[in-house]
Amino acid sequence: MIEFLGYSFFQRALLAGALTGLLCGALSFFVVLRRLAFVGSGVAHAAFGGVAVATLLGFPPGLGGLAVSLAVAGATARASESSGVTEDTAVAVFTVAAMAGGVVALGFVKTNVDLFGLMFGNILTVDPGDLLLLAGAAAAILAALVFFFRPLLLASVDEEGARVAGVSTGAMRLLVLVLIAVAVVAALKVVGILLVSALLVLPGATARPLASRWPGFLGGSIAVALVSVLGGLLLSVALDIASGAAIILLGTCLFVAALTAVRIRAGRST
Amino acid sequence: MSVGARFESVGVAFGGRPAVEEAGFEVRPGERTAILGPNGGGKTTLIRVLLGLLAPEQGRVVFFENGREIPRPRIGYLSQRSTLAADAPLSGCDLVALTLAPAAGFRRLRGVREEAHAALTRAGLPGDKVDLPVGRLSGGERQRVLLARAIAGAPPLLVLDEPDTALDAEGLATLRRLVAEEIAAGRTVVYVTHDSDAMGGADAAFQVDRRVSAGHAHVHFAHVHGTPP
Repeated sequence: MIEFLGYSFFQRALLAGALTGLLCGALSFFVVLRRLAFVGSGVAHAAFGGVAVATLLGFPPGLGGLAVSLAVAGATARASESSGVTEDTAVAVFTVAAMAGGVVALGFVKTNVDLFGLMFGNILTVDPGDLLLLAGAAAAILAALVFFFRPLLLASVDEEGARVAGVSTGAMRLLVLVLIAVAVVAALKVVGILLVSALLVLPGATARPLASRWPGFLGGSIAVALVSVLGGLLLSVALDIASGAAIILLGTCLFVAALTAVRIRAGRST
Repeated sequence: MSVGARFESVGVAFGGRPAVEEAGFEVRPGERTAILGPNGGGKTTLIRVLLGLLAPEQGRVVFFENGREIPRPRIGYLSQRSTLAADAPLSGCDLVALTLAPAAGFRRLRGVREEAHAALTRAGLPGDKVDLPVGRLSGGERQRVLLARAIAGAPPLLVLDEPDTALDAEGLATLRRLVAEEIAAGRTVVYVTHDSDAMGGADAAFQVDRRVSAGHAHVHFAHVHGTPP
């Protein structure tokens, strides 16, 4: 495995993995805190429709994925705020519509579309351009999370209290969904649509039962994401298995280990 | 300078059914104002309009200071049923500090945690509980955190929605003391209650049962206002 570290494609993969881990770990904190696991997954899946339509029309697939993910995020936020429909209901409707549109569009595409790569990604094929895009998106998302951290955190734990304190909770809801949409498209090449939705949930879900306050929760979420992505990547090379699947399977093992640790701790304290 | 609020013909309806009609009354600066009335009479609806959580379909609420109209001031609020998540990964100090400084920004704010600490102490939360996650606090301690959040930063207007329902006797005594201190400092207090004795009386009271009418007389009330329909 050591010899792999000398290859530039593997170095790029490690860097892309670290950026994706940082990005998804930080966002996963808010996804789990706001109980948006299904919504995050829905916005990720909606990218499929955008990628398909963009491919049909000859636009960059990532741009199409971003446009449709943003549209679904915006429509979900608007529907849940103005019409009383819950976020999970709204995103379920808009996501299946986007995916159905994608299937229809793919029917008209004459060229071969790498559906497997789209759904599961391939971190080992990340080129310098992808890496630059990912780094830019990660910097923008992390800067937004740091800048809006206080109102986001308050709105995530006490919506009414946040509104009385002057926080626009609707804007915070939309912000989280938009950041999820951007992260999904940025991480598309690394882990794919299906697996990025798991990476938006697993790190936060793993850290949540282990930490009682937000610094541990947030730090734990980022740590779990980094260990999952980088560890999964190394495992995939060592065991010659698909990298995306290795990342998620390692993340799932960490989640189960965290739950087991919490059960053991609870058993000791009783 | 103290802040007051004037309800001008405020009307709110839910699904076409009026909850409050033609509510017109004044919360006078620097006074304790009680809002009384039966369940479902519209007391909390009026409070939500005052807080800006609900937009009235008719009329408006005007805030004023020294006789001049001002934008909605910072309001300290203790709700009847808090929407704070039971498993929120925050300590009491975290929550109060976040409420004191909720604006976006890159700067680390100095002195906010000290101010939050002081508010928690005033609200009677023991020092060893200040940094515990709110989920590990008892119901009474949690209520003290919410009370601390309401009074932190000396908001010019303090709104309490049925504060006597969630507090134990000791908590209620603390609340009465705090309200007296706020009034002595020139701040304005509005509270909703079923039991006007609970807060040790008020300077003014209004009876709300869909419409606002003259407050009912009570021995503890210094004077009673109202604008009958």
